[in-house]
Amino acid sequence: MAGSSPSLPPRRAPVLAMLIRKNLVWIPLAVLVAWSLVPILWSVAASFKTPLEVYDARWLPESPTLDNYARVLQSDGFWRYFLNSVFLALASTGLAVFVSSLAAYAFARYAFRWRHILLIVILVPRILPRASLIVPLYQMVESVGMLDTYAALIVTYTATAIPLATWILTGFFHAVPIELEEAAAIDGASIWQRIWRIVVPIAVPGMITVGVLSLREAWNEFPFVLALTTSMEKRTLPYQLFLLRDRLGIQDWPLVNAFTILTIIPILILYIAFERRIVSGLTSGALK
Amino acid sequence: MAVDNIATRELPAARRRRKWGEILVPYLLVSPAILFVAGVLGYAVVNGFVTSLFRVDIWTIGRPFVGLGNYLALFRDPNFLNSLTRSLIFVAGTIVFGLALSMTYALLLQAVRSARGFLRSVALIPYLVSGIAAAIMWRFLFTGEASLVQATLESLGFGQMTWLGHPDRALAVVTLANVWFISPFATLILLGGLQSVDQQLYDAAAIDGANWFHSFLNVTLPGILPMLSLSLMWLSFASFNMFDIILPLTGGGPGRSTEVLAVYMYQLAFRNLDYSSASAVMMVLLVINLTLSLLYLRVSRVR
Repeated sequence: MAGSSPSLPPRRAPVLAMLIRKNLVWIPLAVLVAWSLVPILWSVAASFKTPLEVYDARWLPESPTLDNYARVLQSDGFWRYFLNSVFLALASTGLAVFVSSLAAYAFARYAFRWRHILLIVILVPRILPRASLIVPLYQMVESVGMLDTYAALIVTYTATAIPLATWILTGFFHAVPIELEEAAAIDGASIWQRIWRIVVPIAVPGMITVGVLSLREAWNEFPFVLALTTSMEKRTLPYQLFLLRDRLGIQDWPLVNAFTILTIIPILILYIAFERRIVSGLTSGALK
Repeated sequence: MAVDNIATRELPAARRRRKWGEILVPYLLVSPAILFVAGVLGYAVVNGFVTSLFRVDIWTIGRPFVGLGNYLALFRDPNFLNSLTRSLIFVAGTIVFGLALSMTYALLLQAVRSARGFLRSVALIPYLVSGIAAAIMWRFLFTGEASLVQATLESLGFGQMTWLGHPDRALAVVTLANVWFISPFATLILLGGLQSVDQQLYDAAAIDGANWFHSFLNVTLPGILPMLSLSLMWLSFASFNMFDIILPLTGGGPGRSTEVLAVYMYQLAFRNLDYSSASAVMMVLLVINLTLSLLYLRVSRVR
């Protein structure tokens, strides 16, 4: 076969070169994927190590232990912080999605006076970063005697979630065919019924996008809970993680890493379940 | 925020019988959202601005009006000027490194044929983690004589180095952690841009005999310019306000070497109980954000 055609070798060489060049992409890409994952994987590795082993720069522990996770789960207040995080995330997300749906419906379906101004009033606060607001918010919450309450946290979380949620939902609601509503209106459906029975069920993908983005924000939130709470009863997981790190003396790194991984897992599950929605939500939120 | 691109379509039924109740409906629907946003966020800004015009701390009796006094004091305060400088270095470092990284990431993701969706999901993972968790993980990478970074460097022949205890290196570590945390979003934006570039332009360039670099320069770059400025804006915006990453990673130290604006503002308010100076720093931060956002609006208009 080798000498069957003299033109083969020169033709094969470029093919080979092209194959190598095509696959060369994978080398830098592997480096970048490593950059994305190594900090997390290193933390996972440490969470299975014993306190003595943790200062060995080895990836795999000699005798992997679940002890650190057990210690975190049994530590004082862990479940309290966990439930606080869950409660605050669900309550603020529920409230934000509800309030934003109403506003989004008005923006998608009505031409009314000051529509643009009101839309700007709701959208512009997206440029306000959370951390920058903690000083005046602390003063406001303190002056009405609501420091260290769930209500103060829910209200502030909700307020920061509304701008993006309203924006995304307005787009989704606007895409719902108006003919469906007209038919229902002729049958005597009220606005309330049209919103919740027709528009919202059709715009479920939008509701999921908005809900997941808001859950993520609230679950990861730190500045507000740092500034607005004082007692350990109101602490959330990120706050407790921050305090763990802040403790003086020798750091119990296996424990801290196990705690870190446990706070990441719920959001990771959410991400795996709704990856496409999150990505499209993030891009549409950024680009418009 | 292109407000105008949503055309409104009204229900004809609603248009026909315009009763007072009907006219009020949209306002009623919008009012809870307005109440939250204006009542909490808007009021906070106003409140912060007002506080910045008075002297409000625990040593002063009452709230004397000082006009722009807090701002004048701020720009004479070496610690504020330090935090402004640190912020600028932090932001510049993040932009340079973050943009190069996310551009490379996006180009490589665009170049692969298989598993692109999966790899994109992996690239976005750091963005999902909380700032606190990201900071803790990065602290762990650099802590101790046998930390991962230290061990890796030693196996490459470098000696023992302090990282978080060294002023300049601590700032470098904080910047790296910040890039890790916020650049996935920039990658996502840039990848979106790359996918929207007309494929025919590349074919035309190839016919003209352009090599990879030429077609990148003449086709890709102009095509993704809006996305490029958008990710630039995102990186600077997120970095100027970064708080979650820095407080757990270095707490602003060693000394004041990583005390960027948001951290300095926090220390002023909650450690020194000097609310008026903290509010003045907040206003400086808001002016920076407003400037960046106006730039952003201009850029997206041009598009």
